[in-house]
Amino acid sequence: MAVLQTPERERTVGGLPEAAHRPPRRKTPYQAAARGFIAPGVLMVAVLLYLPLLWTTFLSFTEYNGLGDPEWVGLDNYVEMFDDPSFVGSLLNTLLWVAGTLLIPVGVGLALALLTWNLPGGIWLRLPFLIPYAISGIGVGVIWSFILSANGALDQALAMIGIADPPRWLVDAPLNTVVMIIAASWQGVGVNALLFTIGLQSIPKEPLEAARVDGATGVRLFGSILWPMLRPLTAVVVGLSIVASLKTFDIVLSMTKGGPGRASETLALTMYRETFVNSDYGLGSAIAVFLSVVTLVASVLYLRQQLSQKHEM
Amino acid sequence: MNSRRMVGAGIAALTAATLLLTGCSGTDGSSDEAGATTGTLDFYTDKAAWEPDFDELNAASEEQAEITLNTTGYSDAAQYDAFIKQSFRTQKSPGLFTWHTGDSLKQLVDEGLVAETTDLWTKAIDEGWATEGLRAEYTIDDKQYCVPMNIAYWVMYYNKNIFEEHGIEKPTTWEELDAAAGTLKDAGITPYYQTSTLFTFQWFQQLVAGTDPELYKGLSTGEVKYTDPEIVEIMDIWLDQHEKGWFSDAGSTVDPAVGLKQGDFAMINFGSFFNGSLDGAGMVSGEDYDMFVIPAVNADLGTTPVAVESGPLCVAENSKQKDLGLAYSEWWMSADAQTAWNAARGDVAFNPKATVNDPMLADLGTTVADGEHELFTRYFEATPTPILTVALEQFGAFNANPGDPMPFLEAIQAEADKYWADQE
Repeated sequence: MAVLQTPERERTVGGLPEAAHRPPRRKTPYQAAARGFIAPGVLMVAVLLYLPLLWTTFLSFTEYNGLGDPEWVGLDNYVEMFDDPSFVGSLLNTLLWVAGTLLIPVGVGLALALLTWNLPGGIWLRLPFLIPYAISGIGVGVIWSFILSANGALDQALAMIGIADPPRWLVDAPLNTVVMIIAASWQGVGVNALLFTIGLQSIPKEPLEAARVDGATGVRLFGSILWPMLRPLTAVVVGLSIVASLKTFDIVLSMTKGGPGRASETLALTMYRETFVNSDYGLGSAIAVFLSVVTLVASVLYLRQQLSQKHEM
Repeated sequence: MNSRRMVGAGIAALTAATLLLTGCSGTDGSSDEAGATTGTLDFYTDKAAWEPDFDELNAASEEQAEITLNTTGYSDAAQYDAFIKQSFRTQKSPGLFTWHTGDSLKQLVDEGLVAETTDLWTKAIDEGWATEGLRAEYTIDDKQYCVPMNIAYWVMYYNKNIFEEHGIEKPTTWEELDAAAGTLKDAGITPYYQTSTLFTFQWFQQLVAGTDPELYKGLSTGEVKYTDPEIVEIMDIWLDQHEKGWFSDAGSTVDPAVGLKQGDFAMINFGSFFNGSLDGAGMVSGEDYDMFVIPAVNADLGTTPVAVESGPLCVAENSKQKDLGLAYSEWWMSADAQTAWNAARGDVAFNPKATVNDPMLADLGTTVADGEHELFTRYFEATPTPILTVALEQFGAFNANPGDPMPFLEAIQAEADKYWADQE
């Protein structure tokens, strides 16, 4: 913008660059204006992101039921958290979610992209997989509850082919977590396929053609050319998938509420239970901090490993 | 644009963002004038489905008390509780809100957050608008807080057509109830409804209180342990009934009212507010469904225990609308208000002088007050929240996978031990 261009007389002083003459901390009206423009964003980030983070961390060291003042209890909430066998169960369920959503939505999404990206009209094969992405997690939960509940649509379909005593899909653990992962995959495959397709389409034609001329096809072509060249995108898809699965909440809440008992609870659901059902804001905050740290560490470790591999290439 | 205007624009942007973050609320038409006893009262409730009923009641409250409710309904109980707790820290603490009796109410009272209603209760008792038994539910340290929004008795609803088809009469003893369940099962009909989430406690509540009301009270005070032999014995009765196949599939997500209508099960133990759900499902009170007070397990009890729940209407102590809220509360307890409420909502009335339209609910009110029945506080309100949360989950797990009751009871007792240790 013309108005933001620095006039010539301000950029040089006596023919020398201005940095050599200007005191380092001198403020210009432009800097003041810039700070004014930046300040709303900084303020919002501070108030809406940093402040809640600090407040939650503080609460995790207190006993607080949402009324009165928090009472400092040190590490008690963290000790209680790890002492609780249900927390360990919840942690294992969450790990199952991480593994399951890497295996199915990412794996199937990649397979779908590979099988359709070069086909004429492949978009029409991928499109149906993308439609469920438009539904909210709760909506997916409601639809799949209808299918999987006792005597639901699936049980009735099985009864028609003579299977009268089907598994209790949403009652028995860990089957209930597995079927919920499948339900989440139904929603997630399409968008992963779309991302991988974009990745495949962005691969330069020359190395592909060179590989084909050298006789590489099928698995060989995928393993030696496509997969390495897809790595930057795979890093993003897998990274997002890990983060999303670690905070799995809505679909479990709508399908089993973490039950029966606490058999299908995930860490996010445990956090919700302690904070909003039990009004134990301290313990709920401790779980929130733990979940945040796990998510952060997992993301950083994964991305760092991926980036280091990229540099080695 | 010169530099001064640039700085001005930056400051304007900062100011706009600050206003956005701090929130600038305009007037909403409610009566915020301190001391006002007429006008529009902001009312918050976790019973979002009842909002049309509260709106319908406005005609009566405007005419009789010159107060109009401006109702905001929440459909998620946990979200609602968090909202109410946060509101006490703001200038917008509610002039009227629904809450829970028992441990939840005591938490608010301990912090001095709800307005005392002792005078309103004194007047209500003098006028014959409420019973002493109900007042006890609202008494903490000899003072009353809040007023009853509703009252519900936990009884057994049954599908009349199924009962008639199999020649079953309303059971009046535990043996007759068992016989009815046996007859139904033999005919290929599941006798009782059950679930694995939320409403998992009622059969435990019924079995324990129906065996020994003192044992039930002991659980709520910590004097009785969930792992005591008497409780284990009661759980074995429940397990035995499970093994006989008397309960519906715990994993079913069919609406219980629809389930009763289509004969998925013949009976369901629920609060008397269930009439509304059954009517909504297309059943006709007295024709398609009926109810009976569940007989005591122990025939030697002098009176038959009946679980009762009552949800309170409260006023925040620091609300700008405190006086308006209390004025509405006073009107709410009157016979006129409760008659109008009953016409709008259709429920059992806590006020004996109110007119109840549904003959079945009117009969129930008379039955439980006949001296042969003893009311006891529903498990949901009688049990401290952390223990309740675990108990609901464990009873749900027991319903889903019935077996040795001890692991379930031990899990509940572990939480109870922790809770009662914290209270010392």
